[in-house]
Amino acid sequence: MNTLVARYSQPAAHTHAYNADEDSQQLIQDAAPQLSLNFALPPIASTAQWLRAMTDDHSNPNVPIKIAHGTTTLAFRFKGGIIVATDSRATAGNWIASQTVKKVIEINSALLGTMAGGAADCQYWLAYLGMQCRLHELRHKRRISVAAASKILANLVYSYKGMGLSMGTMCAGVTPTEGPALYYIDSDGTRLAGNLFCVGSGQTFAYGVLDAEYKYDMEEDEALELGRRSILAATHRDAYSGGFVNLYHVKEEGWVKHGFNDVNPQFWRYKLEKGEFSNVNAKLDETSGKV
Amino acid sequence: MRGASILKANDDKTRSLNKHTLMAFVGEAGDTVQFADYAQANIQLYSMRNNSELSPYEVSSFIRSELAKSLRSKNPYTVNLLLGGYDAIKQKPELFWIDYLASSAPVPYAAHGYAQYYCLSILDKHHHPDISFEQGMKLLRMCTDELKRRLPIDFKGVLVKVVNKDGVTLQEYPEGEQMYAP
Amino acid sequence: MAAFTSYVSSAGQPSYSFPQQQSAPSHASRAPIQHSFYPYTDNGGSTLGISGDNFTIIAGDTRSTSGYNINTRYEPKLFRIGGEGSEHKGSKIVLSVVGFAADGHALKERLDTVVKMYRYQHGKEMSVNACAQRLSHILYNKRFFPYYVQAILGGVDEEGRGALYSYDPVGSYEREFCRAAGAGASLIMPFLDNQVNLKNQYEPAAPQGLEKPQLVPQPLQRAATEELVRDAFTSAVERHIEVGDGLQMMIITKDGIEEVFSPLKMD
Repeated sequence: MNTLVARYSQPAAHTHAYNADEDSQQLIQDAAPQLSLNFALPPIASTAQWLRAMTDDHSNPNVPIKIAHGTTTLAFRFKGGIIVATDSRATAGNWIASQTVKKVIEINSALLGTMAGGAADCQYWLAYLGMQCRLHELRHKRRISVAAASKILANLVYSYKGMGLSMGTMCAGVTPTEGPALYYIDSDGTRLAGNLFCVGSGQTFAYGVLDAEYKYDMEEDEALELGRRSILAATHRDAYSGGFVNLYHVKEEGWVKHGFNDVNPQFWRYKLEKGEFSNVNAKLDETSGKV
Repeated sequence: MRGASILKANDDKTRSLNKHTLMAFVGEAGDTVQFADYAQANIQLYSMRNNSELSPYEVSSFIRSELAKSLRSKNPYTVNLLLGGYDAIKQKPELFWIDYLASSAPVPYAAHGYAQYYCLSILDKHHHPDISFEQGMKLLRMCTDELKRRLPIDFKGVLVKVVNKDGVTLQEYPEGEQMYAP
Repeated sequence: MAAFTSYVSSAGQPSYSFPQQQSAPSHASRAPIQHSFYPYTDNGGSTLGISGDNFTIIAGDTRSTSGYNINTRYEPKLFRIGGEGSEHKGSKIVLSVVGFAADGHALKERLDTVVKMYRYQHGKEMSVNACAQRLSHILYNKRFFPYYVQAILGGVDEEGRGALYSYDPVGSYEREFCRAAGAGASLIMPFLDNQVNLKNQYEPAAPQGLEKPQLVPQPLQRAATEELVRDAFTSAVERHIEVGDGLQMMIITKDGIEEVFSPLKMD
């Protein structure tokens, strides 16, 4: 067991200089499946600047390599646990790369992570976090606290600061020692504990709906409904968000999934049955003003 | 804006164009007031000459065409506008969202600048076409509370004016308590 | 061709975690100045994959371009992964790559080695879902010097169902029923959404309005799917200059891989 643990818990040593032997070494390493922390680097001085010129479609829409982006995610604490909700759209420039992305990552049966920013960055490092959490369980014979898990991730991304990672993520979990715990971590190295976070390009719209009616003492169905409605609000106003509403409830026993539902029928239900979204005219001649 | 300092905290960024229409404006310093005064004077001139009041829709058409002309001139006005009014003939309130590119849209609720990002989702959810004045004021309070809570720059409060069948009135709007993100 | 031509780093609004100030090359510090490093080119073409109940089809055109030049009319974008020897005998996984062909080849070589090593070490074939995750890690290992590729991986899973995975250049991946990639993706993907996932298709007899039920996708038949793939490509060829010449299709079932080649318009 200890040899196994030792093999998977080597310190993050990444070489910054280009090594001609790197590729051949890589092929040998390929034999042993593992999450490697030896990342290939371009053979030039300013690697981060180069990477930015190749991939940052925010500052230059004509970059050759377009990485999937864009999102609305939210999570909030309430008396019955934590609600986690996300949209499901991934965009590469103006192109909708996918409408079915699972942006809630199930780290283990009691810990959830959310995905905003670079899709690959979040997927890879949250998988890595899942591995570290499992190793913690094996070493200490108990589940890791959310505080510790989020700190592993925060320290990790901080060690890559300035290299071009882009992620805004939330870790939500309920543990016997902490109760419901929620942390926000981003690629700048920020790590915050809090009651309520919205992350991504649609965050302001989600905050609008969520802040107006958020109370810690909500009932479970009220909380689920507010989470769903906040994501819907963001998908309506933010073009980079859309697709499906992915809804989770984290409880002490573990998380429960509450569906992956198409946005469009939900929007029409709120409009036609509740009279919301009154700015949308269902008929073309319903514009005011004409004399 | 000469340097990054607040010059005046309670500046009135609105102009009454006639008895039943009110225009709120934001944008480039100088342009805003110049354009608002110009629009106000011309609307009043029209009413004097023709002895009739323009409806909010007609006022919006005039303003849109002026902005469209300006946009194609050497020195265009950079002003974003909200035009609210009460149509005395149709007996209906009307609101127009107009930007410096001379887009004009009739809407049930609107905002310009950062307020759009925070308030439109609230209005999407809580606005209904048949709400009462009191419900409308509550909705406005929800919006300003959210701005106090989340706007990264310090929010210095709002000036509230109401347009209805009796014309334009300044509305009492207590500042309310400090808001904090939960 | 485009390699080593200069690129202009834009002075647009900064964002993300890149350093905010552009480090201007200062002559005072005597640091060596690096001029334009652009190790990529786009070789065009398009690929597409559809998974069914007990099969997966991966297809790609065989044109390879460089700007407005056609380098060759037969350069496969589909690669068998694993199996025995250089013939990949008995292989049941197919990788398709579009983008920069050289990166595509490098990626295929890496994945193939991994899958073969896995069999030597464990004495059994690698499952597609394991292979899919491994491919993601290979791509992410070059997060700071990415492969310029869009990959699609196909096979049959351990329950015998068709499995299809799609990737972005740095390894974010997802299992899907259909995916188009490359130059013609924006032409083909909407067609696939409509015909495979039946998006925006409703029960015709049902009353209009909110109650209109969305058509539910049915398991695809192999023959019909092959026709769908052919239609997708003939249409893309009509409207995209980088797509054409030949259509290579690989159909993966529990019995192995069948390869079908058919000509496309060569203009």
